[in-house]
Amino acid sequence: MRNKLIQKIMYSCLLLVMVVGMVGCSTPTAAPTEAVVAPTTEAAAPTKEAAAPTKEVAAPVEDVKKFDGVELTLASMTDQYVSAFRYLIPLFEEETGIKVVMDELGYVDLYQKLTADFVGKTAQYDLMTVDIVWSGEYATNGYTLPLNDFMARDAAVTNEADIMPVAWTLGEYEGKQWAYPLAGYANVLNYRKDLFEAAGITPPTTQEELLAAVKQLTVGDQYGIALLGAKGSAVAQDYMSFLQQHGGSVLDESGKVALVTPKNIETLEFFGELFKYAPPGSTDYWWDQRETAFRNGTVAMMEGWSIARAGYENPEMSSIVGKVDVTAAPVSAGMEPKYGFGGWGIGINASSDPQKQEAAWEFIKWITSVDIQKEWVKHDGAPIRRSTLEDPELVAMYPWFPLMLNSFENGDGDYRPRIPTYSIIENALGTYVNAFLVGQETAESALTKAQEQVVANTK
Amino acid sequence: MNQALGKSINRVLQSKSYVVLLLPLLIFVTLIAIYPLFFSLRISLFDYRLTDPNQTQTFVGIQNYLRAFKDPVIFISLKNTLIFVLGTVVSELILGLGLALLFAPETRIARFVRSFLLIPMALPPLVVGLVWKSLYNADFGVIPYYLKALGINVGRGPLGELNFAMPAVILIDIWQWTPLIMVILLAGLKSLPNEPYEAAYVDGASRWQSFIYITLPLLKPTFLIAFLTRTIQSFKVFDTIYATTSGGPGQATTVLNFHIYTVGMTFFDMGYAAALANILLIVVAVISIIYIMVMSRQQY
Amino acid sequence: MIQKKSSIEKIVLIALSVIAIIFFMMPIYWLITTSLKFGRDAFLLPPQWLVFDATLKNFREVLSVDKTFMYIKNSLIITSGTTVLSLILGVPAGYALARSKSRLVGNSSYFFLLLQMIPPTAMLIPFYLIMRDLHLIGSYTSVILLDTIFDASFVVWMMRSYFADVPKEMEEAALVDGASQLSAFFKVAIPLSIPGIIASALYTIIYSWNDFLFALMLTSPKTKTIPLGILASFSSVEISWGKMAVMSIFAIIPAILISLFLNRYFVQGLTAGASKG
Repeated sequence: MRNKLIQKIMYSCLLLVMVVGMVGCSTPTAAPTEAVVAPTTEAAAPTKEAAAPTKEVAAPVEDVKKFDGVELTLASMTDQYVSAFRYLIPLFEEETGIKVVMDELGYVDLYQKLTADFVGKTAQYDLMTVDIVWSGEYATNGYTLPLNDFMARDAAVTNEADIMPVAWTLGEYEGKQWAYPLAGYANVLNYRKDLFEAAGITPPTTQEELLAAVKQLTVGDQYGIALLGAKGSAVAQDYMSFLQQHGGSVLDESGKVALVTPKNIETLEFFGELFKYAPPGSTDYWWDQRETAFRNGTVAMMEGWSIARAGYENPEMSSIVGKVDVTAAPVSAGMEPKYGFGGWGIGINASSDPQKQEAAWEFIKWITSVDIQKEWVKHDGAPIRRSTLEDPELVAMYPWFPLMLNSFENGDGDYRPRIPTYSIIENALGTYVNAFLVGQETAESALTKAQEQVVANTK
Repeated sequence: MNQALGKSINRVLQSKSYVVLLLPLLIFVTLIAIYPLFFSLRISLFDYRLTDPNQTQTFVGIQNYLRAFKDPVIFISLKNTLIFVLGTVVSELILGLGLALLFAPETRIARFVRSFLLIPMALPPLVVGLVWKSLYNADFGVIPYYLKALGINVGRGPLGELNFAMPAVILIDIWQWTPLIMVILLAGLKSLPNEPYEAAYVDGASRWQSFIYITLPLLKPTFLIAFLTRTIQSFKVFDTIYATTSGGPGQATTVLNFHIYTVGMTFFDMGYAAALANILLIVVAVISIIYIMVMSRQQY
Repeated sequence: MIQKKSSIEKIVLIALSVIAIIFFMMPIYWLITTSLKFGRDAFLLPPQWLVFDATLKNFREVLSVDKTFMYIKNSLIITSGTTVLSLILGVPAGYALARSKSRLVGNSSYFFLLLQMIPPTAMLIPFYLIMRDLHLIGSYTSVILLDTIFDASFVVWMMRSYFADVPKEMEEAALVDGASQLSAFFKVAIPLSIPGIIASALYTIIYSWNDFLFALMLTSPKTKTIPLGILASFSSVEISWGKMAVMSIFAIIPAILISLFLNRYFVQGLTAGASKG
């Protein structure tokens, strides 16, 4: 305690020196007062207080005045849905008097920035978009607020039955909802209908047909399929996606990490086989390069998230306008169809003060409500509700919605396990699947080494 | 008399007035940096995982340091780091000296070019990495396109081939940081005295001779700075690797700092990450101090 | 520079300059063209260097949606704050290191070197916690303070070597004339070391301008810097290259202006150096 005091005194002295020293550089603007964050000591115990609001269930939600002057900060990923946020936030502010400041962050920085905010309990962000795979980590550490109390209280207005069951995986961990469904992505197979017609074949319905089509469509400078091969999360996620389509899994029945199984080895060999018909540079493709390869017309097929679909019809972004169609991502022959599901939830910072948490829940309820979801999707958001996916006006705009509905109905949000150690699994697969692809390892030795690395880091 | 005066001046000069000039920085730096240094030293002796819900910190002594010797990635990444540092620092010093000499004349064009050469440095290394990753792309990158046109087989592209990934990453670093060496050396060149050159001219020395026997020795202190700066920065390389190869293919470009990042920010194993960071610190410190000692011995 | 160059030599020099310019400018030129292209054309082969379907769409989008000018303003504040502070603290300290023969002072230079060697990834969390306890997260001050640690440590080393080159006799002469030590430092030593100061300034400007890690951790949406603005063009599906290129250009322009301006002082340094003799 005394040390802390001394430390604080020293720092205050230092600051004094600084202020004197910084003449002329930034005195008027330095340390903007609004940016000062909630005092840390008080922020330590918000979870207890958060339970309190549930008692005042009676408080009518229409009593919007109580949020006047509340300002929320939202950390949003710069996925397409960010433009929907940009459009909708002013409407929300007008309706409720709650001010929402959005900070748009790329994938690289969002995660790091949020981690620092959570670990330091600084509550810089009240609301944040949460990648489906982060749920386990956030839950175990209590970074975000479990929303179940709020959900139970407002069940009458949220129409939860309308939200696709698979969408709840966007934030669920061990029975609690650590983030609310926001934007659901389905893994689909995009293909060039012109090339398929020219070759006289139909789009593949099984993985075996996929391989055959990939071989047939690789001619000259034209390649069969674009894949993610770059070391790191790219190759790991693509492999896990194919694993899901072949009925494999990175976990065994008891939930333990089990990478070295016959099925997984076989799928890795299949994955390697596909790479022979992918553009030569594929082993360093990230999502961006895979998209470019497809939009440039270099490849005939690409599996990917449904959210990118609209972009292929935009003549400013794509050279293949009107030549693309989309179908369900094929599974192995004889398998019950299951489709990879991913996307983003929206969570509330556990360290924010209760009033802000209440206001943040207000925002979540509003943005995910049936009416607003329609606007959300129209402005490049991604759907989570059945009513949105079946809305006639939207289906006319996005003819692939019925397919997405089907993919969501048979969606599998667990092929990338939402457990706290996910990043360790992803890292190990990211290193060794890539090593296999560049010929450093065999399928079996790659998975064995990946397994060893996971075990070594998850004691 | 002159000597006596010189002595008394020296005595004054060596008195406290220098401390007055040094002290503000020393105090400032100590206050801000001492806690993180202490934190990192302390945490390296603990088993501390960020993902542990109870945030327990168990004292494990030097266990984390011993673990490093059994970590297979350490030796690969240490080797890669040394190759990277050697490759970047040597080429940047040579090319930087070349650029400094080339653009030293105070002509309008030279000054103009000099300013534009600073652009690579003004871009965040992460962006530089991504731009080069695109330029290197085997399928739609500009560089392989021209290589292919020359009949060269690019295979998986510079970043995808085990043997070429490291040189390709080194080239990015050279592109971004050679201009810095140029600036540092240029400043050194500009403050060189004229007399030795005049004397050499009178003695009939060729320009090459005066370059070898006058310019290079006089530039030595500046070289030391350039060398130290780039060595230290090179050891800490992270963004460029992260944006281009993530240490791949396989482990071909996994450098120590990238491994530290993985351990700390992916495995959240803060204790071990801190131990690795301290090991890196020691490696850089030893190399720098050896270099300084060698240089100063030659000087006097 | 005293002797005349032969014409072969001149041709070789020009050729080398052209190669250097092409090597260093090609990626920049690629960025500039990308900023003027539609997304679909960015990666077309053969590369379109000169003739392409040009558009100002990316610029319009960035200027209408993103707070680019706010980012630039923030970057300018942080960069100038860091540079001024690093020079104020670093230049005198460098002088002290160059002139003092005391062992303690000399050895403290290794401390500054050590500071530069700290891998920032390992220091992020403790730095973050300090700034939190000082209630400085989201302020310019926090980024300036941390950037200054690393930049000033460099300035010390840089200036130590320049002051070592400045002949002591001139300061001694000034002292004989009755000047105080401090004024000898300000009036004699500093003017003679302008090129070194400029180089140090350029270094701190460059490093604080594109500092990513500290700015990422310590700024708020209102104090975000331009590198962070650039990073916002990466989504989980793709990179918006047009937007990234535009932001990069905005990040480059101030740097060019600053260096064009500072370059003039290299010349002044030269004349000051010449007057030494």
